Amino acid sequence: MIDHLSAEQISQWMVGERTPQLEQHIEECTACRGELAQLESTISQFRMAMRDPANLAPRPEWREPAPSASWFTWPRMVLTATALAALLAVPVSWRVRAHEQALREEAARSAMADSQLLESVDAEISQAVPEPMEPLVTLATWNSSSAEQNQKAH
Amino acid sequence: MATAIASSRELDDFESVVRLYWPKVFRFALASLRDRHAAESLAQDCFFKAYRARGSFRGEASVATWLMQIAVNLVRDRARDRRWQFWKRARQTAVDATSAAGWIRDRGASPEDAALIRDQVHAVWEATRNLSERQRTVFLLRFVEDMDLLEIAAATGLKEGTVKIHLFRAVQAIRERMTK
Repeated sequence: MIDHLSAEQISQWMVGERTPQLEQHIEECTACRGELAQLESTISQFRMAMRDPANLAPRPEWREPAPSASWFTWPRMVLTATALAALLAVPVSWRVRAHEQALREEAARSAMADSQLLESVDAEISQAVPEPMEPLVTLATWNSSSAEQNQKAH
Repeated sequence: MATAIASSRELDDFESVVRLYWPKVFRFALASLRDRHAAESLAQDCFFKAYRARGSFRGEASVATWLMQIAVNLVRDRARDRRWQFWKRARQTAVDATSAAGWIRDRGASPEDAALIRDQVHAVWEATRNLSERQRTVFLLRFVEDMDLLEIAAATGLKEGTVKIHLFRAVQAIRERMTK
């Protein structure tokens, strides 16, 4: 025979773990039986208190919610596809434009280089003698003009 | 199998489901949230969700347990919502212990007995406030909704042994509060 139920044993009883030993003690011990009855009565009062306002609480009138429209409707799908296409097209078009700009710049640079080359070639062709021989031309010109003067003097 | 079909069919007349189970869901929400407006709102959300998900109900548990499972999840979500915690402190509709104790109807008890009962309900109401969310849920489902341990396990998603442990601790805490 146990003295009196411990707090744990009382909770055990309330949870539903009722061993034959506990049952026998409660049958024989007035104090423990009284304590359990008090606890059960309190919880029962709490239950009744909780149930009263719930019964008085306004119960809403149930109306079936309108069926939600399916997300995959035609207009919505077309709009989404358009938006996606636009999103994809923006970076592609930007890349194409950047590539074209680079090509144009390259072409302009190449045209300038070509024209410079042509100018230098032109300048070279228009010269009578190569640049290193220019002093000789001057000398020859000078010699021939002085020989003509000597002939005239004779 | 026959029970499952019967439970599934119960959902066909959803208006009756609301009529029958509204008090149960509302009561649990009120005791958990301690706010009348929030409890009404949560109960409405619960039935709305149930209506939307009624096609997935397989009848493995009763409709009542299934509804309580939805309500328990909603309460859990609400408890984690920091905005709700803020407004809960500010709201005027919060149910205090005095009004909860005041719900008791006078059933011919003497003024002394009525006062004693009010004190006891007050003590339990205050004790449930300080329980952890799980302990409170398990306690309310067991002692207010009269659900057995297996039904509580199904509604909370906990194992039966875990339910028992939470219930044991909840009872201990309440008993301690009452003996103070």
